[in-house]
Amino acid sequence: MDLVRHLRYFTVVAEELHFGNAAIRLGMAQPPLSQRIKRLEEELGVRLFDRGGRQVRLTEAGRLLLGEAREIVARVDRLHELARHGEGAVLKVGVPPDLAAAAIAALVEGFRETSPGVRLAPAEIWTADQVTALAGGTIDVGLVRHPVNAPGLGFGPLLVQPQGVLLAESDPLARAGELHLADLGGRELLMPPREGEPGMHAETLAECRRHGYVPGQVHQGAGLGLVLAGMAVAFAPRAEVPGLAWRPLLGSPIAYKVSTAWRAETEAVKGFSALAVRILKERAGMTDEAAAPVRRVSRRPGMLA
Amino acid sequence: MTGPAFAELFRVAGVTGWLFAADLDSGREVGHDPDEWLPMASMFKVALMVELCRQADAGLLDLTGRVTVTAADRAAGPTGLSAMHDDVTMSLRDLAYLMIAVSDNTAADALLSRVGMDAVNAMLEGFGFEATRVLMTAGETNGSMAVDTGHGWPYLDPEDLARMRALDPARTNRSTPRELARLFGLIWHDEAASPESCAWMRTVLNLQVWPHRLAAGFPYDDVAVSGKTGTLPTMRGEAGVVEYPDGGRYAVAVITRAFSAALNHPRADAVIGTAARMAVDHLRR
Repeated sequence: MDLVRHLRYFTVVAEELHFGNAAIRLGMAQPPLSQRIKRLEEELGVRLFDRGGRQVRLTEAGRLLLGEAREIVARVDRLHELARHGEGAVLKVGVPPDLAAAAIAALVEGFRETSPGVRLAPAEIWTADQVTALAGGTIDVGLVRHPVNAPGLGFGPLLVQPQGVLLAESDPLARAGELHLADLGGRELLMPPREGEPGMHAETLAECRRHGYVPGQVHQGAGLGLVLAGMAVAFAPRAEVPGLAWRPLLGSPIAYKVSTAWRAETEAVKGFSALAVRILKERAGMTDEAAAPVRRVSRRPGMLA
Repeated sequence: MTGPAFAELFRVAGVTGWLFAADLDSGREVGHDPDEWLPMASMFKVALMVELCRQADAGLLDLTGRVTVTAADRAAGPTGLSAMHDDVTMSLRDLAYLMIAVSDNTAADALLSRVGMDAVNAMLEGFGFEATRVLMTAGETNGSMAVDTGHGWPYLDPEDLARMRALDPARTNRSTPRELARLFGLIWHDEAASPESCAWMRTVLNLQVWPHRLAAGFPYDDVAVSGKTGTLPTMRGEAGVVEYPDGGRYAVAVITRAFSAALNHPRADAVIGTAARMAVDHLRR
């Protein structure tokens, strides 16, 4: 027998002390209800109700078991509740693996405050893989780098993050207060993997060429070992890393563009998206797209002479 | 923080150097013996251009008015009208362009004869410049070197150099790095003459052709360098304004005197740009 269902009938009849009323509350006819209570009494081996005359009363045993029965029914209800609720209670988020640790921590922390019922499950994924994961439903929302070509995805506001240069402390360039891209000539460059960040890769390298920097080799990866070893430089937002120097880039020519992305804009996705915009502005040095500087090319007479 | 090591930089390049740089908007400044009186060589042409504009603003002369420069009017020099043979007729403003962009001595003297040396000095005095004065035309400067040494170009002998009035701040066209930078600041702040005239002067100064001094320190497509060079035996200088892509503007003046009398001294030219870059980098920290 379905013991829990029978216990639920028992609690309702005990509350109503009237089989007709109890049957109405339970949305069933009275005879089957009476029959089920009888079966429960057989199962438990005790009589639960006195059905003397027109009055229904709890027996001593019934009174004793009612508390337990209520407890069991409530617990089972809570179990179902949790199971139902649990389906949307985790928001799976993709973030670029090179996003600053502090920014990820701030996102998780902030989300816990604004959406206490939903747990954030971040995974470090590059943009191209996030697009696949969003389409396949593996993640609910992502933080992607632009330009990104992904039909069917919705995007939050575009944020811009100007990049400086990370280089070994021993590099002579570290003596300057700021650097121009052209100053990096002769140095190799470390960038996130091209398959993971195709748009950012193409745009950044094009900008480097435009500003007079053509790296002899472009290493791919997110670890800074090559930079620490003085074998490459890397673009990064302002950061303090032992053994490395960070210098701003004159004119802010390299700026990574980031936005949230989703396939279905649920409430949780909306909440995360709004939070991400705020946190990335406050903690990761990102600004609204319009704030990015426009490049001007100076004209010197010798250029055409 | 400590200032840039200008002395070491100049020493390694084989020169003595003087420098002044100022942020045109914040007023922050940095210098290296910036108040030394020094020959300003061809940089005097900037002061002449300012007075030319002021007289045009006042209606005293017409910048489009034409002047004929004949062979007899020619001052010695390697560029522009000075290097040409035949009579040339052109407007005052085109003469000014040649005087600034290629440091044309003949164009400068043609203008100076119309504007007047006294008027240029009165203007400088009116702006409160204490050191900066124009005492010789371009032709006189060149002529004095031949007279003082008893022979013509080149001038390589240290004793000849010691005798030159052209190198004596008391008798030659002179200024200081601080005052040269301030003169450029007046032009960039529309205070040297009318705003229209200042805008035109900025355009002309931006057409400066020599890339080996101030501009060499900023080899970037998105950084604009405008300026005027000045050169005399052992003396090399340039004053101007450097404009950064974020809108930062810096007036810089650098003058160097080489230990060697060699005419070709690329490091002495390049250190002007290197020192200027260090100064601007310092102002931006």
